[in-house]
Amino acid sequence: MAIDRNSVLDIIAEEALIDPAKLTPEATLESLGIASLDIISIVFALEEKFGLALEQSDLEGVQSLGQLVDLILDRASVEQPHAPNP
Amino acid sequence: MTGRVAVTGLGCVSGLGQGMAATWAGLTDGRGGVRMLSRRLGDDPRFAMEGPAAFVESVDGSALEAHLGRRVMGQLDPVCAYAVVATHEALTDAGLLDQTALLGDAAILYGGASGGNVTIEESYARLFLKGQAGVHPLTIPKYMASAAVGQISMLFGVKGMAYAIASACASSAHAIAEAMHLVRAGRSKIVIAGGADASLTFGSWTAWKALRAMAPDACRPFSSERKGMVLGEGAATLVLEDLDHARARGATIHAEVIGAGASSDAFDLTQPDGVGATKAMAQARADAGIRLDEPCLISAHGTGTPLNDKMEAQALGEVFGRDLERHCVIATKSAHGHLLGAGGAIEFVAGLGALKAGLAPPILNYLGPDPDCVLPLALGPPCSISHEVLVSNSFAFGGMNSVLVARRFG
Repeated sequence: MAIDRNSVLDIIAEEALIDPAKLTPEATLESLGIASLDIISIVFALEEKFGLALEQSDLEGVQSLGQLVDLILDRASVEQPHAPNP
Repeated sequence: MTGRVAVTGLGCVSGLGQGMAATWAGLTDGRGGVRMLSRRLGDDPRFAMEGPAAFVESVDGSALEAHLGRRVMGQLDPVCAYAVVATHEALTDAGLLDQTALLGDAAILYGGASGGNVTIEESYARLFLKGQAGVHPLTIPKYMASAAVGQISMLFGVKGMAYAIASACASSAHAIAEAMHLVRAGRSKIVIAGGADASLTFGSWTAWKALRAMAPDACRPFSSERKGMVLGEGAATLVLEDLDHARARGATIHAEVIGAGASSDAFDLTQPDGVGATKAMAQARADAGIRLDEPCLISAHGTGTPLNDKMEAQALGEVFGRDLERHCVIATKSAHGHLLGAGGAIEFVAGLGALKAGLAPPILNYLGPDPDCVLPLALGPPCSISHEVLVSNSFAFGGMNSVLVARRFG
């Protein structure tokens, strides 16, 4: 599974139990009800599916969904993701 | 406040089905909720669970999610899923779901023999079977023994005192007893009490088998040829409320909780001595202030294990003496299996249903009398009863005993 904007949004919708139609770039994490524990679950799922490593500190200052997705895609483009766990 | 304690809300889920109506139908239709379980951990034939169990096929959280306006069920360990749907039903029944101020002052006392067993087993399987480096970051908050209490508090906005009670298979009975004491003492007008358990995992299944406590076929309380218990899973929630408070807001009152007794055997980790059970029952009767000749509906602990049932029959004989025939003994584990930490609550709820309906749910799978268990058993088909008082027994590993007493209301 290749990482792209849609696949990231799919993971966010699945992990945070949010209707995908509500996932617009300008929506804030707060307005979507994405809490800190949801973020942890999203990051865990990204690690699982794409081998992408994100630290909690990477996420500081992220407020909108667009920022979160851009950060993930930016990190994916500069890192050579390691093989995900089976 | 009178110090009298009303039951104003009921909800449950188990192998009998979801909701009070399905539960009562399953208790009285003679079929029960025990089926053959065939499940594998990770689809690996080395980790197979095969045998009778009263498992929950699925949980419908749509009404809860509609109330909340968001999805939550997919994030929950089964133990929490069972707890919150049962509590949603109980609060709906009590007319409290939208009473923000009342729920804000309410308390929660909820029992469980353990916590999110499915979550912890999945995490261990990742580490030890699949050789993966990490586990899901929410493993701890989903596994902790108080996980269900936290979810009930958050989802329903309950902001009073809230904690979990763990006393193995008496956990939820202890929780209801302490809830009664809280209301009696005027410390809380409304308490959400009950318990949940979801232990049908390969590890738990194997551990119960290791105890030689599981029946290969069926749970047959107090019967000849009984061979042990059958595992179940689920939750039962009650809303306990100060009687005057309930009356003032026009709540439906299902019954009145009038007494409780508790004791410890200080004897053996798994084997009951009977003395503690006798003490708890006598204490509960005295606390309830019921006459010694009051005919009682007795919801027995009735696990179906040879030793436990023999001990309970002896203890009942000691407490109720020569008047034993005046009473009626039900043993609903034969229908919904052993819900472990939730067992006391669902058996109390079953007894309340019997009091209200004037109908004793039959003990299933009975093969014939055991001379060590001479009791006035409710054997099928369901028989009419006119008892006003319920005595509900819960006796746990570690010798922890809890007995609840309720009276039909109105």
